[in-house]
Amino acid sequence: MTDYNAMTDEDFRAEVRRFVESEYPAHLRNPPHRLHWQEGEEWFRIVQKKGWVAPGWPQELGGMGLDASKQIILIEEYERYGVARLPDHGVIMLGPLLIRFGTEAQRARFLPRILAGEDIWCQGYSEPGAGSDLASLRTEAVLEGDHYVVNGQKIWTTLATDANWIFCLVRTDKSGKKQEGISFLLIDMKSPGVTVRPIINLGLHDEFCEVFFDNVQVPRENLVGEPNKGWSMAKALLGFERIFLGSPRQSAYALSRLRMLAERMGVYDEPEFQERYTKLRCDLEDHKALYETFVAVLRRGEPLGADVSMLKLHQSDLFQRITELMLEIGGENAGLLKPMEGNRDLHPSGQFIEARPTTIYGGSSEIQRGILAKAVLELPG
Amino acid sequence: MSAMLEDERDDAIRMIRDSAAGIAPRGGDRKRIRALRFQSPGFDPAVWRQMGEQGWIGLRVPEEQGGAGLGMGAFCALAEELGAALAPEPLVHGALSARLLAEAGATGPLERLVAGEALVLTAWQERAGSFDVPGTPEAPRLFLPMADGAQSFLVPLRQGEGFSLILQPAEGADLTLEPTQDGGSFGTLRPRGGETVGTLSAAQMEAALEEAALGTAALLLGVMDQAFAMTLDYLRTRQQFGKPIGSFQALQHRAADLKVQIALGRASVESAAMLCDRADAPAAQRRAAIARAKARAADAALLVTRQAIQLHGGIGYTDEADIGLYLRRAMVLANQFGTAALHRRRFAAAQPEVEA
Ligand SMILES: Cc1cc2nc3c(=O)[nH]c(=O)nc-3n(C[C@H](O)[C@H](O)[C@H](O)COP(=O)(O)OP(=O)(O)OC[C@H]3O[C@@H](n4cnc5c(N)ncnc54)[C@H](O)[C@@H]3O)c2cc1C
Repeated sequence: MTDYNAMTDEDFRAEVRRFVESEYPAHLRNPPHRLHWQEGEEWFRIVQKKGWVAPGWPQELGGMGLDASKQIILIEEYERYGVARLPDHGVIMLGPLLIRFGTEAQRARFLPRILAGEDIWCQGYSEPGAGSDLASLRTEAVLEGDHYVVNGQKIWTTLATDANWIFCLVRTDKSGKKQEGISFLLIDMKSPGVTVRPIINLGLHDEFCEVFFDNVQVPRENLVGEPNKGWSMAKALLGFERIFLGSPRQSAYALSRLRMLAERMGVYDEPEFQERYTKLRCDLEDHKALYETFVAVLRRGEPLGADVSMLKLHQSDLFQRITELMLEIGGENAGLLKPMEGNRDLHPSGQFIEARPTTIYGGSSEIQRGILAKAVLELPG
Repeated sequence: MSAMLEDERDDAIRMIRDSAAGIAPRGGDRKRIRALRFQSPGFDPAVWRQMGEQGWIGLRVPEEQGGAGLGMGAFCALAEELGAALAPEPLVHGALSARLLAEAGATGPLERLVAGEALVLTAWQERAGSFDVPGTPEAPRLFLPMADGAQSFLVPLRQGEGFSLILQPAEGADLTLEPTQDGGSFGTLRPRGGETVGTLSAAQMEAALEEAALGTAALLLGVMDQAFAMTLDYLRTRQQFGKPIGSFQALQHRAADLKVQIALGRASVESAAMLCDRADAPAAQRRAAIARAKARAADAALLVTRQAIQLHGGIGYTDEADIGLYLRRAMVLANQFGTAALHRRRFAAAQPEVEA
C-alpha cells in the first residue's frame, strides 16, 4: 500500500496530475452541470481501479488515508483539470460519519459498497418547512418493534434519482428541545413507500428532488449513533463541508472563463475591464491565502472553528461577482440559453445561473453571517 | 410644459396602465408565459394583434400616420406594465420599427405593423453589446428577438451620412435562431434582397434607438418592480425559526436597499421620459438622461432579481417558481440596446461635468 502522506507535496501533486491527465475521459472535462451517476460512472470505474475512491478514509477501510493537506492537493488538481464531481455523498459525508460514529457492523456493511460503487447515497436533511431552520424538521421515525416507521418528506435532495440509499435526519422525539429529538437514519430507497420526484432547477437540469416517505419500514440497525443524537453528529461534519464549499475551485474556474469571454468579446485589454478583472484576481489570490490558513489548521490535526464560515461566505460571493461581470461583458450573448458558438467555455448565462445557489445551499450566506456574528464575534442576541 | 398639458400627459399614462392591465395583468398567472417559452415563435400572434388594436405598437407614431401620437411617458408606462407581466411580445422592437417606417414615410408596411397584423423587426445590430448602426450591406444582423415570428425585417444600409431602409420579407430569408434564457430566441439574419422603402438621417436613427433603449429600461423597471413585490410577499409568508423570514433584520435591510434601487430606477426612467416629451429639451440632455436610465435599470434589475432568488432560498433555484422567470427576463433585457457600461460612457460624453 502506498503511503501517500510520506510523499512530498510536490511529488504527490505530480502523481495526481499524471493520473488525471492520462486517464480522465476528455469528454467529461468541466461539464456544464452536476453529472448523473450514469454520465460519470466511466470515471468512477477508473478511480476505483486506482483505489482512489475515498481519499479521506483510512487505508484499512479501503481509503487512501490522505491527511487533510494531501486531500486538498488532490481536490486542487482535480479541479484544475476540470474533473467532474460524481454523486459523492457516500464518500464525503456518510463514510466519515460511519467511521466516527457507526458500529463495526455498519462499517462492514456499508463502506465496501460505497467503494465498489454499488451504493449511491444522497443527503436527506432539508424539508419544505425546515431549510435554514433545519432543526425544526418533521419527518418522523417511530420505533415499532425492530424497525422504524418513517413518514414525511425531504426536499432539495441533490441527485436523489441516482441514489439507492439516503441518509436522513429524522424526528424521533417531539418532547424536548427540537435539536434533541433528531436521529440519523439510513434508508434503502427501494423500500416500499419511498417516492422520488425530480425538480427542474433554474439551470433547467434535474439535479435535485423531493423524496416522500409513506410508512417506510427501516430496520432498527440502520440508526447511526444513539437515538436523538443525530443533530450533533451531523453538525460535526459541517466543518469539512464548509471548507470544501469554501475551496477556491469554483471561483478559479469562473475567473479563467471570464478571461476567455473577455478575449472573445474584445474587451480584455480595455482599462475598465482590466481594473475590474484585476480586482477579482486579487480577491481570488487573497481567498486562496485565507483558505490556506484553514488547511493549515487541518494539517496540524486541529478541529476547524466556526470561523470557517468566512471561507464559504467569501467564496460564494466571489464566484457570483465573477459571473456577474461575465453577464455584463457578454452583451446580448449573456441572454443566450446555450453556450456561445457551441463553445462550453463561453457560457456567461450558464455560469451566472450556476453561481446562484452557492449562497443558498450548505447554510445560506445570511446564516453564515449570523454564525460569524454570534459564534465568532460573540455579539449579543 | 403647461399645467394643462401635464394633466393630459398624466391622464394618458394612467389610461395606458389601465388598458395594459386588461391584456397583460401584472399579477396574472404565468401559465401563458410558460406555455410560450421555448416554442416558436415565443410569443402569441393573437396578443400581438390585440396590442395593435389597442394602438400600442404605434403609440409613438403621429396620429396622421395612423398612430396614437402619445409621448414617451405613456410608452414607458406601457413598457413597465408589460415588463411586470413578463409579456413576451416584442413591443419595444416593434415600436422601433414603427417609428422608423413612419419617419421614412413607408405607409403600407407601417399600417400592417401598427395594426398588429405583422411583426417587423429592425435589423440594425452587427456587434454584441453595441449601440451604433454601421449599416454594412453584407454583415449579419444579430440578436433579433422572436425573429421566427416576424413577417419582415427592416435593414438599414449606410448611405452617405444617413441610411436607406430596406424591407426584406422573412419568407426565404437566411435566418438562424438561438434560444434565450427567457424562453424566446435571438435570430441572426444575413440580409439579402428586399426593397428600399425610404431614407433616414443618422440623427433620426440614433434618436429612435435611444427611445428603444429607454423603452427597454422601462421593461426592466417593470421586471424588477414585480419581482420585488413577489419577494416581499414571500418575506411576509415564509416561516423559519417560528417567524416570517421578513422579520429578520438582515433581510429587512436587504429589502430596504432594493427598494432604494427600484426608486432610483423609476425616477431615472420617468425623468428621462419627461425630457423626451418636452419639445424644447436639448438632444444632449435627453441623451444623457436616457443613458443614465438604461444603465441604472440594467444594473438594478439584475440586482433585484438576483436577490429575489436569494431571498426565496431553495425554491428560488427551481424552474417551477415564477420568480426565476423574472431573473431570466432581466438577463435577456439587461444588455439590449446598449449595456450599462456603454450607456455610462454615453452619459459622460453627453453630459460633461460642469466646473464648480
Ligand atoms: C442546489 C441546491 C442543492 C441542495 N442540496 C441539498 C441536499 O442534497 N440535501 C439537503 O438536505 N438539502 C439540500 N439543499 C437545501 C439547502 O440546504 C437549503 O436550501 C438551505 O438550507 C436553505 O433553506 P430553504 O431553501 O428552506 O430557504 P429558507 O430557509 O426559507 O431561506 C429563505 C431566505 O431567508 C434567509 N433566512 C432564513 N433564516 C434567516 C435568518 N435567521 N436570518 C437571516 N436570513 C434568514 C435565507 O438566507 C434565504 O435567503 C440544496 C439546496 C440547493 C439550492
